Amino acid sequence: MQQLTFLSQRLLQAVFVTLAVTLFVAFAIRFTGDPAVMMTQESSNVTEADLAMIRESLGLNAPFHVQYLQFMGQLLTGELGNSFFRGPIKELIGSALPSTLLLAATSMVLSILISIPLGIVAAVKQGKWVDQLIRILSLTGLSFPNFWLAMMLVLIFSITFNVLPVSGFSGVASLVLPSATVAIVLTAVNVRLVRTAMLDVLSEQYIMVARAKGVKEFWVIYKHALRNSAIALITFFGLQFGNLIGGIVVVERVFNWPGMGSLALDAIAQRDYPLLQASVCILAMLIVIVNLVTDMAYSLIDPRIRVKS
Amino acid sequence: MKLITSTLSCSRQGFVKTVKTGLLATVLAFSGVQAYALSELNVAQGSDPQNLDPIDTFRLSWGSIGSNIFEGLIQRGEDLQLVPGLATAWEFLDDNSRIRFTLREGVSFHNGEPFNAAAVKYTFDRLLGEQGQKGPQRSNYTSIGSVEVIDDYTVEFHMNQVDPVLITKLAGYGAMIVPPKYIEEVGEEAFDRKPVGTGPYQVVSYEPSVELKLARFEGYWNGTAKTELVNIRFISEPATRMAELMSGGVDISLNVPNTSVETLKKNKSVDLVTVGGPTVNMMRFKANSGITADARVREAMNIAIDRDAILNALLGGLGESIATAQGELSFGNDASIKKYPYDPARAKALLKEAGVAPGTDITLDIYNSDETFREISQVVSSYLGMVGLNLKIRANETNIMASDLIPNGKTGELFQFGWGGWTFDFDNTAYLLYHSGERFNPYINDAKLDELLEQQRATYDRDVREQALQQVAGYIREQSLELPLFNLATMYGVSKKVSGFVPAPDDRVRYMNVVVAE
Repeated sequence: MQQLTFLSQRLLQAVFVTLAVTLFVAFAIRFTGDPAVMMTQESSNVTEADLAMIRESLGLNAPFHVQYLQFMGQLLTGELGNSFFRGPIKELIGSALPSTLLLAATSMVLSILISIPLGIVAAVKQGKWVDQLIRILSLTGLSFPNFWLAMMLVLIFSITFNVLPVSGFSGVASLVLPSATVAIVLTAVNVRLVRTAMLDVLSEQYIMVARAKGVKEFWVIYKHALRNSAIALITFFGLQFGNLIGGIVVVERVFNWPGMGSLALDAIAQRDYPLLQASVCILAMLIVIVNLVTDMAYSLIDPRIRVKS
Repeated sequence: MKLITSTLSCSRQGFVKTVKTGLLATVLAFSGVQAYALSELNVAQGSDPQNLDPIDTFRLSWGSIGSNIFEGLIQRGEDLQLVPGLATAWEFLDDNSRIRFTLREGVSFHNGEPFNAAAVKYTFDRLLGEQGQKGPQRSNYTSIGSVEVIDDYTVEFHMNQVDPVLITKLAGYGAMIVPPKYIEEVGEEAFDRKPVGTGPYQVVSYEPSVELKLARFEGYWNGTAKTELVNIRFISEPATRMAELMSGGVDISLNVPNTSVETLKKNKSVDLVTVGGPTVNMMRFKANSGITADARVREAMNIAIDRDAILNALLGGLGESIATAQGELSFGNDASIKKYPYDPARAKALLKEAGVAPGTDITLDIYNSDETFREISQVVSSYLGMVGLNLKIRANETNIMASDLIPNGKTGELFQFGWGGWTFDFDNTAYLLYHSGERFNPYINDAKLDELLEQQRATYDRDVREQALQQVAGYIREQSLELPLFNLATMYGVSKKVSGFVPAPDDRVRYMNVVVAE
């Protein structure tokens, strides 16, 4: 019952967040210029009457609330409507969203696979040279702007050694550089988080008890320490997802990755209101959903929470 | 390299044949028969026109695609000469109120539909009617009143008003001939994505913002394209585009950034191919108020800047400094108008004479997306600093600049202006920039300019027009009404494996004669 109340509360929150985001985006973008002007920039003889005609056909002459309600209506029915320049938004998002999810998931998994062992080693060998080395590596990773890192990877692996494609998406090889870029920056943060979480748990009394019982160190770390730090880690990783999406928008552009980031950036540049609203809204929903799933996952991982509820 | 696994042509026999041939080809491929490899050209360009319908676009990025798919009644080649396209001849009748076009026979669209007078009428009815109103091209063609079909291969344009640039504009995007039956069949939305024209290449597939695939149209009337497949990839990040070019991922890259010029020149597998373009870069003055209302101040700023030094130091010498807002190729260019000299001493004297105190603050508005211009602005700022003007640079987002600051006259004393001048006719630039009441002219209101501009628009007489346009340019120069900078070269990065590539000054690249060596 408690679970259900919790879930419905969070769902309600999610709806509000999404609503606020769409309202803000729809409102803000309309302050910053006119799509009709963008469309006619290179035409000669454009008169005010021509612009008015284009605005009318784009549906921009309607009052803001009418345009917004129309958009929300389309969003609720899942139809999403048409972009100003590029046809049905559903199709555009339908092809961009999987690409972004693929990149996000690969990078996240890669990062978790690297950061958990490294973080554990750093925590166990606290203060030793391994810990110092990992700290330095992590700091180095953190100080790379992902844009620059991406270009360096391209320079090394695509131009100098010519072993990986520069950009685009044409099979698994194309996934390597973009996901490595995102994963490196992400891992740099995650290693520190894993280390901190592990150190917290390792100083608990039950760890001492386990060791005193003569449990092997491997099992102390794996069964007692890691499982108990799992909640903290999942929260961290879940919260990282927002940052991850932010980073992906930039990386997508460098690698010409056909995802949501590219879609949203193009839409901003062209003042394609419907497309921008829809893509930002989908990205926001994605982050909200991941956070929701993170919260739900606690109870799966930690039996104590299940028992209490 | 690609194997044939399905037929690429959208043949007139239609779907059944396509499926049959596709099956046959697939069977052949799987049964181990040596399938023959198709020749392929890979191209990168900075942006995706997003909509392939010629009347829905205004972008240069469409030109480099559409010019391979579509043709107009008139064609303009890479040498900018106007030649017969789908019309073989034209004549002006009844005191220029009608233009009669004789159409080319034996031309068909990619879907097999014949090209004829009905297609021409449909094209212009569509452009000038409801469909055209939704797009940006219509306004270029409103001088055409209606199109009348005389017989299958003759049409007449009934003109609303004199339009001396019309013939040039008939080679422009909006006047590309489209197939009536195909559009009626598939609908407007499908046509945006998979259009059909009469050109040497036809659309195979189009994935917005990612890639467009073109295949040779075997039924093309004017020869056969040398390369079977052309893949055009849209890569918005300039550094990535250059990386693809240098790693061999693409054979030709359009939109080479100025920052990559040196790298490309040094690269052994790539050539930098340049051609004088139509784009002029300049700064314009807030000529009706503040210190820039004084012609002496405007002249002082003009002669305080060493244009050639900037051109050579920042832009690799790839371009020309200009005296007026047009390049050498433009109709109406007057070669006798002198470029501004670099004379800081005289600039200081002029400023003193105009009563401008040293250290006076002025503002320049620029577009934040233009890295090259930002660098140019910084150098200009130090040149102006040397004559005692303190220039502040304000970078603005493109849309805000184009839809608010400029039209509403909210710019600083100076503002950046780049103009494409696609018709290579000064009318297109001059009318927009100097005629009173035009959107992009918030500051100049001059009866003499208005008169000259209207005069040249009302006649087809080239001598009269040229003279009027040259007078406009001379007057602007005399009054120092703007600060012209450069006419930059259009640059292409081309792999050494490529032959037959002709750089197009107007971005309307044609791939028909391009061959990629193995």
